[in-house]
Amino acid sequence: MFEGLWLLGSGIAHFLTWEALFNIAWASLLGIVVGALPGLTATMGVALLVTLTYKMPPDQAILCLMALYVGSIYGGSRSAILLAIPGTPASAATTLDGFPLARAGKAGMAMGIATTSSALGTLVGIVFLALIAPWLAEFALRFGSYEFFWLALFGVLISGRLTSIDNPLKGYIAGILGLLAAMIGMESLHAYQRFTFGISGLGGGIDLIPAMVGAFGFAEILVVMKQRVTPTLVTSNDRVLPRLADITRYWRTTLRSGFVGTIAGIIPGVGEDIGSWASYAAARRKSKEADQFGKGSVEGLVAAETGNSAVIPGAMIPTLTLALPGSAAAAVLIAAMFIHGIRPGPMLMQENPEFLYQIVGILLLSTVAITIFGLSLTKLLVRVLLVPREKLMPVVYVLCVVGSFAITQRMFDVYVMIAFGLIGFVLRQMRYPMAPLVLGIILGELLDINLRRGLHITDGDVSPFFTRPISAVLCTVIVLTLVMSLPTVNRRVTNLFKRLDPQSRTG
Amino acid sequence: MSEHSADSNVERRRMNRADLATGCVLTILGLAIVYFSWSMPRLEVRGIHPATVPGLVPGLLGLALAICGAVLGIKAWREGRQEEGWRDFLHIFYTAEIGRVLVAAGLALVYSLVLVGLMPFWLATTVFLFFFILAFETWLSSAPKPLLRSAFWALVQAVIVGIVVTLVFEYGFLVRLP
Repeated sequence: MFEGLWLLGSGIAHFLTWEALFNIAWASLLGIVVGALPGLTATMGVALLVTLTYKMPPDQAILCLMALYVGSIYGGSRSAILLAIPGTPASAATTLDGFPLARAGKAGMAMGIATTSSALGTLVGIVFLALIAPWLAEFALRFGSYEFFWLALFGVLISGRLTSIDNPLKGYIAGILGLLAAMIGMESLHAYQRFTFGISGLGGGIDLIPAMVGAFGFAEILVVMKQRVTPTLVTSNDRVLPRLADITRYWRTTLRSGFVGTIAGIIPGVGEDIGSWASYAAARRKSKEADQFGKGSVEGLVAAETGNSAVIPGAMIPTLTLALPGSAAAAVLIAAMFIHGIRPGPMLMQENPEFLYQIVGILLLSTVAITIFGLSLTKLLVRVLLVPREKLMPVVYVLCVVGSFAITQRMFDVYVMIAFGLIGFVLRQMRYPMAPLVLGIILGELLDINLRRGLHITDGDVSPFFTRPISAVLCTVIVLTLVMSLPTVNRRVTNLFKRLDPQSRTG
Repeated sequence: MSEHSADSNVERRRMNRADLATGCVLTILGLAIVYFSWSMPRLEVRGIHPATVPGLVPGLLGLALAICGAVLGIKAWREGRQEEGWRDFLHIFYTAEIGRVLVAAGLALVYSLVLVGLMPFWLATTVFLFFFILAFETWLSSAPKPLLRSAFWALVQAVIVGIVVTLVFEYGFLVRLP
């Protein structure tokens, strides 16, 4: 207990230097700008910044990436409120109540509430991160190859199921395509090169960073440029700094949304957008003013913004303890950690226990930074939103090219970026989610190695995959997830619950 | 309201045909992956355990992809076989939106596959930015700007960004640009 508090204190103190504070300031401000601009997402921002922080010391590099991540998820609320366009997918639910508030002349108030809610959401998530992560890391020490195989499969499947837009099958297909992309290149069990077709660049496999820059950068540029109409900005000059009563009035919603957001973060590959929608839906169900939701409800705004921000610390729980990315941006963070010699996973708490608390420290300081910037730089951020996309998007594309090229300095990575950009764009148009694809790329090796290693240990016997207690639980959850995706089963189960619940029968 | 529902019907029919086509492509792709995985060396010479052959996981994934593709395709075929959906689907390729996408993607591809490497990086970037901004501010805009004014400011931005990005990456981040 006291050791944990001591580590927490030193984790925060570690970053109370001028260099670290300066890095937090610019990275979180850059994050807010990236998040506020439609077409620039948190994942893409983090992926591009990996290139720029490549030569920094590991702690400062991760600090910049995390601060940008926190900043951009918050920044998305600006365009959601003022333009009715979510700056990042995380702020889609914010648009529902944020924009009507701005139209009613309360843009300042909406921006203020969004800022404090984001800060409080991150704080709730941080508490869960500090409490759950050490426990989960210790628990995960019992995991062997069998469990890690199921975890990788579970991660891709659950992400496919929960992030799919209208058809779970498309989520699964995106996940399988990601896993297949990870099969390209040299496999590490027997050093055999798979699916390279004589192309030497494919020998090392597909790097996650160029693939992410393509799927989240180039594809997003095409999506933004596709639209013909430019949105109009709605703003007002009312007070931005919220009153204490405005913040405390919805304390129940804040806590509930923080909790729901954290859970969404913990589920692999389920990111801020789902966290935001889930906490918005939960708040509407419990609210006394449910009829106001979607028409400019402050409570709705609080729920959406608290929910998406709480996902960030929540996503760090599986990311740090299991190396299972909690969100798409967390997948990039895992890649960045490996680049900087930090190995996330169950051994993290044994090898580098202070790192977890440094992440907590970074999240706390980034929260302070977004609160200060969010409440003070209103005019500057409005000006950022006025930058026309015709002028901005080509610059972003240039950064995508340089960003993909810079890490290994080979044109092959630029081709990977372009390929994933085009495939990502087409898949998006056909309503395939991107998160399972990314999760597949990062978890492919984990799944492949652990299945074959497990079979090697048991001399080809598959029974330990089903009989070991944790494996059995994971396998059951996977089967249930798959079975529940079948429309017939889903309908029957829903009907059964309706019959059992007297409230819904009368309602 | 009826216009909205007609639009959503067209959208549904388009998606139905897109799913049918994707289902077929994914099934073929999945089966091709199964074939390649099956014919992958089993490395018997090295005496590896037969359950750890390199083609095992890709083969299983290929099979899963083929099954998912087949289910997607069959479902789309059953749901949309009474309707005339191909015309709606092909109509996507004649919309203004697709024109904008093709221009953006085309310029991006010409820049990164042709110009970069052919000329100095700053110049390639300048040329790309100039034409991109000009195309979307005048030719493809719903409220086009005067050509000369747009060209002048596009050139100014293109030159500045081209030079700044090159200098920052070459001297700031020590990246040897292509």
